[in-house]
Amino acid sequence: MSVLDNKIIVSFEVNGRQAELLTAPNRTVLEVLREDLGLTGVKHGCDDSNCGVCTIIMDGKAVKSCAMLIGQAQGTKITTIEGLETENGLHPLQKAFIEHFAIQCGYCTPGMILSAKALLDENPNASEDEIREALHGNICRCTGYKKIVEAIEAARDEMNGKA
Amino acid sequence: MVMKFEKYFRPETLEQALELLKEYGSDCKVIAGGTDVVIRLKAHALRVKAIVDISAIPELKQVTVGADQAVIGASRDLMSISRDPALRGSQWQIVAECAGHVSSTQIRNCATMGGNNCNASPSADTTPGLLISDAVVNVVGPKGKRDIPIEAFFVGPGKTVLEPGELVTSFTLPAQGERCAAAYHKHAIRGDTDISIVCVGVRIGLAQDGTVNKARVALGAVAPTAIRAHAVEDLLVGKKLTDDVVEQAARLAEQSVRPISDQRASAEYRKEMVYVNVRNMIREAAAKIG
Repeated sequence: MSVLDNKIIVSFEVNGRQAELLTAPNRTVLEVLREDLGLTGVKHGCDDSNCGVCTIIMDGKAVKSCAMLIGQAQGTKITTIEGLETENGLHPLQKAFIEHFAIQCGYCTPGMILSAKALLDENPNASEDEIREALHGNICRCTGYKKIVEAIEAARDEMNGKA
Repeated sequence: MVMKFEKYFRPETLEQALELLKEYGSDCKVIAGGTDVVIRLKAHALRVKAIVDISAIPELKQVTVGADQAVIGASRDLMSISRDPALRGSQWQIVAECAGHVSSTQIRNCATMGGNNCNASPSADTTPGLLISDAVVNVVGPKGKRDIPIEAFFVGPGKTVLEPGELVTSFTLPAQGERCAAAYHKHAIRGDTDISIVCVGVRIGLAQDGTVNKARVALGAVAPTAIRAHAVEDLLVGKKLTDDVVEQAARLAEQSVRPISDQRASAEYRKEMVYVNVRNMIREAAAKIG
C-alpha cells in the first residue's frame, strides 16, 4: 500500500481564488494555508483553539483554523487577512486598526480583524457589547482591548457612512 | 504534534457513515465540528486510524420544533442552535441558551450538539440544558436504533455508553408542561470561553397556587459526569418556594456533591458555588413563570 492511498483531494476557494490540493488528511486547515499556500497572515499560536490568532472566515463565519482538519475545508469559501485588501487599498478595518493604534506586536491582529469582519458582515450595526462578545475568542496580550474595540467601532461607522 | 490518524472520510449519507463505523469499530472517531477531537488528536490523547466526518450528512443537521417535542440534529452547530428562532421563546429555550454559553463565536460556529455531549466533559455547557429538559439521545448502530435518556448517556469524563459502531443522530426534547421555566448559570472566571468551575441548570414547574409540581436540577463540573440532583428535586416538589425551602434545597445540593479540587477551584469553593447557584437558579426559573 502506498501512502498515496490515504491522501485526499481537497478543493476550496481562498481569497477569491480556487485551490485544489492532494494532501495527507492528518493536517489542519491552518497548516495547509500557511505551508502549502503561503498565507502566513494566518498565525499559529496556542494550537489548541484558545488564542484565536488562527481565525479565518469560512463560508461567512469566523472559525479557528487550528482546530479544523483540512478535509473539513472541502467546498468552502475561505477568507484570510491577505484577502481583505482590494485595488482601492486596505479594508476599513485594517485602516482603523492602524489609525487607532490597535496594534502593538501585531500577532493577534489578523485574527482580530477577521473576527470583526465576520461580525460586521452579519451585523453592520454591532454594538460595543456585540463587538466584545465576537472578540471573546481572540486574545491580545499587548494592548488590552480598548483600542481594538474603538478601531472596530470606527470602521463600523465608516462602513455605514457615518464617519 | 503531528496527528497520527491515516484516513479521513466524509460520508454523505447515514448508511455510508454506519458502514465506515462498522468497518473501523473502535479504531475510528466521529467528528462533526472537530473542535474537541482535533485538539486531542494533536495532543496524542486520542489515537485512531480513521476519522469519520459526519458534517456532510444533511439529515443530521436538522432542527424541528413542534408543539409536543423538538428534535435537534447531532451535527447542528451550536451557534445556529443558540439563535434558533423556533427554540428561542419555546419551552426548550434553555437548550438554546446553554448552547450560547459554549466557548467563543469561532467555536460555536463549528461545535455541535452531538459533539459537545459525546465529548462527555463534566462541564459541557449544553448538558445541563438537556438534563433539565429530559432529553433523549437517539442513537443508531449495528444493532439498529436505541433511545437513551440523557442522564444514562454519560459514564465518566470523556466516556459515554456509546458502543463501537454507534452514532448519535439527534436529541429529542419532550413537552415540558404548563407553567414551567428554566435557568442556567455558568460560573467561570473568564466568561464563556472558560471552562466552568460549576454550572447549574434548574427547571421549575408551578401549579396555579405556587406549589412546585416539577423540578429538575442539573449540576456540571462537580462529579465525573454532569448529574441530576434528584434529592433536591424531590425536596422541592409539593412545596411552595418560600425563602426557607429554597435555602434548604440549595444546602442539600451543596451537601450532595463531592467535587474535586483542581487548578480552577477547590472542592470547598465548588460546593459553596453549588449552593449559591442552585439557590439563584431556582429563584430565576420561578420568576420567569408569570
